[in-house]
Amino acid sequence: MPPVSPYPLLRVDGLTKRYGGERAIDSATFSAFPGEILGIIGPNGAGKTTLLETIVGLVAADTGEILWRDKPLPASRRRNALFYLPDGVRPYQDQLTADVISFFAGVYQRSLAEIDATLSSFGLTPVLHKRVGALSKGYNRRLLLSLALLTPHELVLMDEPFDGFDLRQTREIIGVLRHHAGRGRTFVLAIHQLVDAERICDRFVLLAGGEVRGLGTLDELRAKASLPSGSLEEIFLALT
Amino acid sequence: MRSHKQSAARAAPLLPLLAKEVREILSGRSLWILLLLLCPLIGYSLFQAVLLYGESSSAALQSPALASSLSPFDGILVPTLGSFYVAVTLLFPFVAIRVLGQEKESGALRLLVQLPYHIPTLVIMKFAAVILAWLLASLPALSALVLWRVLGGHLSFVETSNLLLGHLLYGTLIGALALFAASIAESAATAAIIALAFTIGSWVLDFTIAGQPGLLAWLAKLSLTQTLRPFEQGLFSGGLVLGIVGVIGGFVALASVWLPPGVPPRQKMRRSLPCVMAIAAILGGATQVAWSVDVAEDRRNSFAAADQELLATLRLPLAINVRLAVEDPRYADLQRNVLSKLERAMPNVSVLLAGSRHYPATGSSGESYGEIEYSYGNRSDVSRSTSPREILPLIYNLAGVSQPPPKPGAEYPGYPLVTGANATLLWFFGALPLLIALCWWWIRRPRRFNRFLVHEGGPS
Repeated sequence: MPPVSPYPLLRVDGLTKRYGGERAIDSATFSAFPGEILGIIGPNGAGKTTLLETIVGLVAADTGEILWRDKPLPASRRRNALFYLPDGVRPYQDQLTADVISFFAGVYQRSLAEIDATLSSFGLTPVLHKRVGALSKGYNRRLLLSLALLTPHELVLMDEPFDGFDLRQTREIIGVLRHHAGRGRTFVLAIHQLVDAERICDRFVLLAGGEVRGLGTLDELRAKASLPSGSLEEIFLALT
Repeated sequence: MRSHKQSAARAAPLLPLLAKEVREILSGRSLWILLLLLCPLIGYSLFQAVLLYGESSSAALQSPALASSLSPFDGILVPTLGSFYVAVTLLFPFVAIRVLGQEKESGALRLLVQLPYHIPTLVIMKFAAVILAWLLASLPALSALVLWRVLGGHLSFVETSNLLLGHLLYGTLIGALALFAASIAESAATAAIIALAFTIGSWVLDFTIAGQPGLLAWLAKLSLTQTLRPFEQGLFSGGLVLGIVGVIGGFVALASVWLPPGVPPRQKMRRSLPCVMAIAAILGGATQVAWSVDVAEDRRNSFAAADQELLATLRLPLAINVRLAVEDPRYADLQRNVLSKLERAMPNVSVLLAGSRHYPATGSSGESYGEIEYSYGNRSDVSRSTSPREILPLIYNLAGVSQPPPKPGAEYPGYPLVTGANATLLWFFGALPLLIALCWWWIRRPRRFNRFLVHEGGPS
């Protein structure tokens, strides 16, 4: 799907993050447009998580700038514009699932209809009475995704959103995210499973060794890699 | 979906955040384990205290003179709450650290700092949950006071309230320290080590260098254990309360500086500097606040009422030149029996410690060592006594006033009580732990929900 608007919602400009002498992110530059699903694609260790955490300000960038609707967005104000769902977190283990949902709904003052819609889309109703610590990996992931979608932010960044889901569940979640993108929400997803990424993303940022090696729609990347009918996997291997 | 501009325009409500922090404390194990451990600890302390008080009382019942020395404040309250103090020092940091350490370890902190709250708001809500945890943890101690009353014991409302205030300030100080430790440490275990290093380090400071001269004496005053002592002496000290509140505020501010991820440590250190300077300024200011109130029912921190009234009328400066080393036991006696009382009773008293660097064994200060010179107006006199019975007449003589007659009916009567303490054992080793376990079960009991029972956040 082509970008809905020609003007970027978010622009990442020359973002660099070093750990000691090593560049975890090296002058990353790309944009996310309203209503699109942008995939940050790369193998483990490519710098996807560091890139997302640097964008939202959870990790301090060494150089580079984040622009929101073409205006600089300082780290202190990013939480007003962006919401980031990290990978590998299992928060609020001792709390009931219902209480955690209530907490986010209360903070963002969501209506009952919005809560109901979120619970339905992620199939969380059967586990509302369970403690978060007792949830399976899949349900824990569903809970976290539902928290992210209860926020009112126009742009949501998610790190490995399909981790812990089987094929059928992944397709379900893709449907939910597509539904929200169709209503104008923008998603930036860090994904290492290229098949999943190909299914859901409108455009791709190919990341390897902290560097952006390719950027564009699947067709644009095919043209760049001179692989007219290549899969994302083949394109990735060709460009990185 | 609402835009971020619309959502930012409306301030996020605090209640869900506070409710979540309280749930985090209540749903964890640490608070309940602390409560269960407090039962035998406080129960046995109260049992022992009631037995010993009863033994002393049986002799005092035959003699009114002995009865006046029997104070439930010293005999029951201070030792019983002393066990609570030990538990708060060693165990409460684990409860307080949990409110932040758990979120750091589980990754929830990365979600929390993205919520539409300022970082200090997040820390203050966590601190409020820590105070609530302390209040819950104090319930066994409060039940000990109720039991003492049920057994027929006497409690003075003012001195008991003052002692409880002291414990509240100490508990919140430990809580704030633990919160700060959790904010700088990556894991709860490291935070616990930092917090215990402070608290146990304070004990070491107190045991090893208290009573030493110079810098060591100043360092000993920074010990956390010093914070409770005036309250245990029935004294409400304005300077001490200001100092403790300042340090608590400082720890909370420092936790706010160190909490957010994504800020380089050097920047955090730079931001910490004003907090540290503010704490130092408040502590410096607190040492200058001499105002204090003797709330002890037996007025142990004051002279007799008639002397207090007369001393308050002596407006000229009283200069006291003490030629004693600070580690000399006579100086401790003089300080406790005379100097601290004079400083509260008279409007203008200055004490100069002239012998602090001389020890009598060396003979370096000569024959004048041990003398205390009192100067009032243009008259002065010297004494070696540390007793108010000798020093007050000396001061009256210097001021040219006569010693006041004692006021009748102002003597402390004492409250001897001989009673059995077995009921305390039944409560603390049976009923109370059972009650706590039931509350724990009730909080963690399985509940049924359907989607409509999830609370609505508010109008969209």
